[in-house]
Formats: sequence, structure tokens, C-alpha cells
Amino acid sequence: MTVTEEFEAAPAAAGGAASPAETLRGAASQGGNARLSFEEWGYRHASRRHFAVRGLNLDIPPGQRVLLLGASGIGKSTILAGAAGLLGADEYADGEYDAEAGGGANEKAGAANAGNASLPVRVQAPARVDADGGMSEGRILVDGVPTQQARGRVGLVLQDPDAQTIFERLGDNVAFGPENMNVARGEIWRRVERALAAVGLEGLQLHRSTLHLSGGQMQRLALAGALAMRPGILLLDEPTANLDPDGVQQIVRAVGDVLEAQRCTMVLVEHRAEPWIDLIDRVIVLGLEGGTPDEGTDEDSGEEVHASTVSQPGSSPVFRRTMIVADGTPDEVFQNDSIDFAGLGIWVPQRYRRAQDAISRIHSVGEPAYPPEKGIGEPLLSTASLAIGRGGKAIASDIDLVFRPGQITALVGANGAGKSTLSLTLAGLLAPVGGRVVASPALQGDAGDDAPKDWHSTELASRISYVFQNPEHQFARGSVLDEVMLGPLRTGADETAAKAIAISLLERFGLRQYAGVNPYTLSGGEKRRLTVAASLAAAPRVLILDEPTFGQDRRTWMQIVTLIHGLRGDGVSIIVVTHDRELVTALGARIVELTPQGAYGEWDHAAETTPSDAQSSGGRELASANPPSTGPLPNDFLAAQGLDAHASDCDAARIAVSPVNTRDEAPRPSSSSRFLASLNPSFRLFGGFLASLPMMLSLDWVSATTALGLELVALMAIGFTPWRIVRSTWPIFIGAPGSALAVLLYGKSGGAVWWQWGMISVTDRSADLALATGIRILAVGIPAIIAVLGIDATDLADSFSENLHLPDRFVYGGLAGMRLFSVLRDDWEALSASRRSRGLGDENRLKAFFPQAFALLVLSIRRSTMLATAMQARGFGGAGPRSHARVAVVHIRDYAFLAACLAVPVIALVTAGFAGSFAFFGG
Amino acid sequence: MSSSESTVRTRPNLKWRVVDIAVASAIGVASAFIYWVAALLYTPIGGPLEVLLPGLSGLMNGLWLFAGPLAAVIVRKPGAAIYAEVVAAVLEALVGNQWGGAETFLIGLVQGIGAELVFLFVAYRVWNALTLTLSGVVSAIACWGYTFVTHLQGFDMTGAYGMWYLVATVISGALVAGALMWYLYIGIAKTGALNAFTSGRQVRGMGR
Repeated sequence: MTVTEEFEAAPAAAGGAASPAETLRGAASQGGNARLSFEEWGYRHASRRHFAVRGLNLDIPPGQRVLLLGASGIGKSTILAGAAGLLGADEYADGEYDAEAGGGANEKAGAANAGNASLPVRVQAPARVDADGGMSEGRILVDGVPTQQARGRVGLVLQDPDAQTIFERLGDNVAFGPENMNVARGEIWRRVERALAAVGLEGLQLHRSTLHLSGGQMQRLALAGALAMRPGILLLDEPTANLDPDGVQQIVRAVGDVLEAQRCTMVLVEHRAEPWIDLIDRVIVLGLEGGTPDEGTDEDSGEEVHASTVSQPGSSPVFRRTMIVADGTPDEVFQNDSIDFAGLGIWVPQRYRRAQDAISRIHSVGEPAYPPEKGIGEPLLSTASLAIGRGGKAIASDIDLVFRPGQITALVGANGAGKSTLSLTLAGLLAPVGGRVVASPALQGDAGDDAPKDWHSTELASRISYVFQNPEHQFARGSVLDEVMLGPLRTGADETAAKAIAISLLERFGLRQYAGVNPYTLSGGEKRRLTVAASLAAAPRVLILDEPTFGQDRRTWMQIVTLIHGLRGDGVSIIVVTHDRELVTALGARIVELTPQGAYGEWDHAAETTPSDAQSSGGRELASANPPSTGPLPNDFLAAQGLDAHASDCDAARIAVSPVNTRDEAPRPSSSSRFLASLNPSFRLFGGFLASLPMMLSLDWVSATTALGLELVALMAIGFTPWRIVRSTWPIFIGAPGSALAVLLYGKSGGAVWWQWGMISVTDRSADLALATGIRILAVGIPAIIAVLGIDATDLADSFSENLHLPDRFVYGGLAGMRLFSVLRDDWEALSASRRSRGLGDENRLKAFFPQAFALLVLSIRRSTMLATAMQARGFGGAGPRSHARVAVVHIRDYAFLAACLAVPVIALVTAGFAGSFAFFGG
Repeated sequence: MSSSESTVRTRPNLKWRVVDIAVASAIGVASAFIYWVAALLYTPIGGPLEVLLPGLSGLMNGLWLFAGPLAAVIVRKPGAAIYAEVVAAVLEALVGNQWGGAETFLIGLVQGIGAELVFLFVAYRVWNALTLTLSGVVSAIACWGYTFVTHLQGFDMTGAYGMWYLVATVISGALVAGALMWYLYIGIAKTGALNAFTSGRQVRGMGR
């Protein structure tokens, strides 16, 4: 940390200077791109004691492409969110909250005290508190206009593809931004088409469900959604962190094409910048004044500083200040030897790597002599003609693998290829479709069987442990200590022993100081370490980690890799599911690759980057002979190792899987009746009310039977078979007899008494009412269910908005929430699996239900908070008018349908009146 | 509990933000999912309860009432209870369940209004275990009333069955949809998931 500049106006270096290309770009843009400037800008989140960013002065000229680098928690995401106008909205009048914003006042004092004498005296901009309780200072301008007022000028793409997919249908997601900007309907769809073409998704149908897209496709869809708003500035917040190498290439290519065509200004935040470097004009490196960021300040993932890592508020706050450490062209910044990139948590792109930046096979004192790709001794776990898949359909078969103690295996392959399916099957969490997973006698121990899938949950926990990709799928206890004690307790250790184990693991993983803290509040890197510690606590012989290095900055990455490496000495067989090449390099792991049938594997011919094919033949010898201090290994040593592995005895393998499904989807009809499917959804809903609710006026068997008869005739006339009716409404066929029985036994009594016992009294009247109740439940339920069954939620929302004029904010907010339903279903499955893996799976269903439901609620709230950000980034929630991309049409037949629905109860009730059986509310 | 119990004296901000809408609807959606799982448990548990004491199956009803009070205490905006219950009900209706499709919408609305009344009465200023419990109780009464006016007309509302059903439903509403939701809210807030909300920051001692 030697180059330290105060935040200041953009230096003349870099693309800031008008290169000829720049000028050209500016000319071509015709005002399409915009200038982004920060003026003394700062923001403090409501849940934080410190400003995430403060006093930022930065000017990004139109058309410039900026890469923003820095450790997790440094404030990169805050800067992008601010630039996108997502912070400081709905501000209260100044001063209204002054008393409560005392922390901020203290900090100002702290800032003044800590202010280095050499820093220019800054005029303190007045702080403002927004509706989120956050505090902002200064301003951010887009072409001179405050960014909150520059709706649609700034497009933001976030990290998590799931969190940015707002609606179920592909096209609707892209149309959403223009709708919020009140673009006319015809123009919206033209923009959708162009935006999808720009990101290379033009072949896909607009009604296609986003559930069936790959991660790379979903991220390109998010990009298209931003582009459809015609932004002058494109902000990308780790857009490729969740993607496999192929997905990364898709995004980089798409962004490159878009920048070429539209000349937008771009600000990119990305830990692994290598694939992007050719697009970048200017690199800005962020660091902390006076040192590297604390652990537990992972602001990017929304967590906050723990009391244990910072001084108490009020007294004398440690002044934490994000500042620009370097600013210039990629060449200038990355070739500056005085910058300690590793210390700043930054990955240097491969092409600029120096000896101290390179990632090579790590070694440690006292590590076992045998190579990690081989392990030692008899296999612990093996597969015999294993076929894997979900729902009974095999995606790969005839898999024969062995896993030895001390061996590290990397399961690699594209997203969706089936890595998780294989690893879950190995972990005894998913049943094999064919063949077997076999535990060796050493692993099996006193368990009843050699098939992990048949073990009790507690037996599994002490033998094979699975660390889930999302740590929040795994947490089961309220404190870090309890979380780690859970494994030993479940597998038979007593309280004292469990605590001893837990404490020593927490020491080893650097989490001791968080023992009493709620696991959910840890930073991303800490959560990851905790889940590994908790899995190890039950002393499993096989440890499976799903994407352990996902989205980590260089420092946390190194911590995790060192930890995994250290486990080898314990004789644990380690399996990592990953697409992180550097992880595989650092661990020296054996590679097992899943490739679609007929496709080449990506891991043999390391097409990527840099030097010396010449050295690769000697790669493996180099690997085992070279201690890290003697210098870096060639970057493609890994590939060499992969090639070698095929010929050698460390049984690397390639597994052919059936190709990822890419078929077309037919639009799903919203009812099995073509007539019903053609109706307006709101009318269907009201039709359901009209057909059923008036029936409540009378409880008698005549009206109920008449209505039921009419309904059956009408339903058959519009294309329902009796069997289809029963199948669609089966729950009420279970409910109706139950209710009838209850009325028979406990209902209103009258007439002859058939049987009396305690509260039970079966009489003439209760029998009548029971019959009527049973039939009426069917007569009410069948039309009420069939009228709405299958309505597409999007169509219903459109109709609520356009026909019923309900407020769009609530209608489309609710609709976006509903898409979470399918995501939550997957979450529920993952939660169940993780509980089994942790020894909690033997509990009865009721006891297991509540903690799992809690975890689901926390997940859904987190997901929806991110969803809100994504929606706001597309301009949703403003007070201005909104247009609608889709039309909710009302036809004459919709009114006819309502009339027909109402006719059923009217006829039935009139018939009952003539028959003399009408019984007002059962009276 | 004392740190999170709040009688907000200052004017609460009652304007809905996008995140309020998103989280309220997510609570509705997650609740719908839990309602759906609970519906699977209804027959094996509700049946034996009925045998034990007629009307006792009302004890299960609280399981379908909690979305309203939970969304209200987290989001703290007018209409949050109604909104979350309606979102849950619409989703249930679209999926189909034993309480009928379109009608589920109406049940949800009635129960949501019941839950909302209590918070409206205290002008969205008092958030504690008591107001939540009351909210569960009123929602339960609404649920009981709706059921008797519609599906259980065959019973005497004021008879033994009706009264036991009322008592069971109210107990269940008070405990499951009321008091339990208070502790659930505090549990969720402690995970940091509610940091975007005043309600969440209060529990974690972060001031407003």
C-alpha cells in the first residue's frame, strides 16, 4: 500500500484522456452514453456503525470502461448501488432524525480527528437519512443530474442470477425495465427483441420459463433486462462470480458486443478480471486507509461488522476509510510493483501476474508425503456401475470411481452437468438410479450396511459430510459454538467432549471469537469456514464440499484453500465440486470431469492463457518437486496434470452425461379446457365466486344436488371428462366425507334421535344436514377450484392491474414474490438433505418441520430483499406512470361466463325454494 | 425481548418501500408453502384430535393464520397483514387445495382483515408480544366466523361443537399465529435478515 491518493477527480491518466478511439466513441454515441460523477459522496447503511464509503470524488467520462477492484467489504457494491440510484431514496427532511443519527455525528468527529494533516480539508456535505435508515452525504450525478432522478439512465446487473430473475417468463423480464419507464407497448417489444439479440439469446422463445435456463443464460437475460432500458451507464456487480467458465465467456462476449455497439459507459466490479481485461480502459483499486479490511466486514454480502472486531460505538470509533489506492490504465496499475495486490485481497489477472501473485500448488510443513491426487491406502468409498440422476432418470451411468484417504478429488464440469447430482449421490443424500455407492469396511464401521443411502442420519454424519454451496442451507443452531457442537452431540459425544472438539475446531478455523454469535450474521468467508468446521466436528472420513471458493476475494480464498489442504494430513478423503481452476491447481487435486456426451471436456486442453506449453510435459514432476518458495508453477501445469492423469494410476476420470436439456417449450395452456383458457383471469376468479358463494345461502340437499348436476353438465360441455374433474379437485373429495361425518355426529339436532353418546347425537336433522354438507362442499368446491386452477400468475397480475386497476407496486411486487415459490421448493429439498447430512434427519417429521420452516423463512426474506434491489434497479417502485407490455383483454364471452356462473346457484336455489327445502344458512 | 419491544412514540414511516412489498409477499409465499405442507399434516393430526374432543381440530387452524401477523410485525406498514394473507391465498388458490380455489382468496382476505384490525387500532405504533397475540386472536375469530357462516352451517354455532371449535381456534391463533410469531420475528431478526427494516434493527440494537 504505497500509492495512496485521496479521492479526487479522475486523473488524466487512463482512458480519461481523450484517445482517438474515445473521441470516435463519443461521436458515435449521440448522447447514448453518460458521464458518472461522485461528489464528496458517502453512504452509511442503517445497520452499520461506519460509512461504507465516504468522501468519494470520482469522475468517469462518457464511454469509459472502468474496472473497480478491492477486497470483499471494501464498499464496491455500495458504490454501484449508489450510482444506480438505489441508495438515499425518499429522503427525510434534513435534521429530522438528527438525535437518532448520533452515531453519524460521532463519526464525523472521529473523521475530523483521524483526518490526516496532509489531506485537504473537506467541506462536510450535510448528511441525509433515507427511508431505509441509511445516511448519505454528497451526491452522485449522471450527466449532471442526481442519479435518483435519472431513471433508466443507469443499468445494474448483479451477481446472483436467481435474484435478478423477476418473473417466470423470459420475455417479461426484459420488458420489465421499459414498462417501469413508461415506454409504449410496441416499442417495448422492439427493445426486448433487440436486447435479447444483443446478448445472444435471440433464439429463445419469449414465453420460455426462466426455470430452465442455465446460469450463463440467466445472467445474459439480466444483462438484456438492463439493456432494454437503454442505459447510458452499465454497472456490473460481479456478474460472473456464480458462473462456470463457459458462462463467464458468454457474459464477457455479450458485454463486449454491447459496448461495441452502444458505447455505454461501464463500471465493472469483479474479483477475477482476466477475461475482462481487453474491454477495460481504466482500473481503480480500492483499499482501506491504514490497512486491510477487518474480517467480518463483508459488506458485499450484506453482513455487518461484529462488536468483537471493532471498537464499541460512541467511545472512539476506529475510523475506517475506503480510499483509492491506484487509478490508471490496466498496464499502469497492474505493472506497478509497489502495490501489494495479494494484501489488498485482489486477484491480479493472469497476464500481469508476478511471482508473488501467482497461484501455485500449496505445500505445508508436515503434510503427508503422498501426492494429494492419489491419496494412500485402501479406498474408503467407491462406486460400482453407478448411475446417477434425479427423479429416476439417469443422466450418467457406469461410473466406477474410488476415493482414498488423504486424496483430494475435484469434480468439475459445466453448470448443470450433474456435478451436484453425483456428489449428493456419493454423500448418501440421493438414491442411485442404478449400481451402487459402496463404503469400505473401514468407513462402514458398525453401520448396518455398506450403502450410505441406507444409513441413519447420525451414522452418515460421522462418516460422510457434505458442505453445501449456500451456507444458509446448512445452519441449524443459533450460535456458532452450538453449530459446531451439533455434529459430535448427534453422533454420541457428551456435552463436555463436544464442546472441547468444537472449541479446538473454532480455534483452528479462526472463529473462536465468534463462538456466541448467530451464524447467519457472519461474513461470507466466515460462514464458509464455519460450515466446514461444523462438518468436520463429527469426524467424517469423507468430506464433500460444493463450490467452496465461490465468490471469495483472494484473501478469503487463500484461507479456505489452506484449510482444505490441511485436512489431508488427517486422512480425510476430500471431494470438491468446483469450476475454479486455481483451486484445483492449489490443492493438486485429481480431476473427475463430467462432460456432455459427444462434447470435449474443457479441462484437458487448457485453452486459457499464458505461458510455456514446453514446460507442461514436466508439470507433474515440477509439481511434486517444487516448494512454493522457489517460484510459480506454469499456469497450465494443471492441464498437464489432467492429461497426465489419464495415463497414470491416479485414476482421474471423465464421465459422460446426457446433454443439458435445450428443447423448445410449448406455451402451457392455463386450463385443460380451451374455453376456460381463453377467458380473462380476473373473470375466471369472479366466476368462481359467483358460482360458489351464493350456494352458502341455503344448506339443503336439493340445491346442492341441483348445482352439482348443472356444474357437471356445464364442465363436460366445455371439455372436461368426469375423471379429469375428480383429478383436478381430489382434495375436496377427501374433505367432504369428513365434514359430513362431523355434521352427522355433532351437527344441529332435531327429529328422531338415532344414536346418542356423550357429545354425539345423530338425529334426523343432523343426517339431513350431513348429506347436504357433503354434497354442497362438492358443489361449491368444484367450480371454485376448476375456475382458477392453472391460471398463470402473470396473466392474473396483468388483469388485476389493467382490468381491476389495483396498484402496480403491489400487484407486480406480489407476482415477483410468487416466482420465489419454485426457488423455495428447491431450498426446501436442500434443507432436508443438509439436515440428513448433519445427523438431524432421523427426527420425526413434525419435529423436523419447524426448524426447517424457520430456515426457509430466513432464506425467503433474504431472497426477497435482493429481489427488491433488482426490481428497483429496473426502475420499479417510482411514483411515475408505468406502461404495460402485455394486454389483458376482456371479451363478450367473459361476461357470458360470469352470467353462466351466476345462473348455477340461482337455478339451484330457486329449485330448492320450489321444493320447499330451502334452509337459510342451515337454519 | 426488552430491547425489541417497542412503543414507537415518533411518527412511524407508513409509506411502503419496494423492499416492504417484496418481503411481505415473500412471507406470503413462504407461508403458502408452509400452509401446503401443514395441509398434508391436517388429516393425520386433525382426525385424532376430533375423536379426542369434537371441535378440537380447531387447534390446527393457527397454522393457516400466521402470515398476516408475521408480515405486519416485520414490515410495519398499513395493510401488510392483509397483503401477506392474500398473496398466500392467491398462491394456494392457483395451486389448488382442499378448501377450494377461488374461495381460498376470500378466506385469506377475511383472516388478513382480522389480523390487521389490531394493528390499525394501535395506529401501527405498538409492536409487542401482546399486540401480536391479539392479532392472532382476532384473525382466529374471523377464521371461525367465516367457517361457520359458510362450510359449517350444519353445526350450531353456539352449541358445544361451535364453542369448542371457537376456543380451540382462538387458542391456536393466539399461540401459533400470535405469540409464536413474536418469537419467530425476533429469531429471524437475529439472523440479520431484517437489517433493512426498523423492526430488524431494533432487535439487534442498531437503533432505527
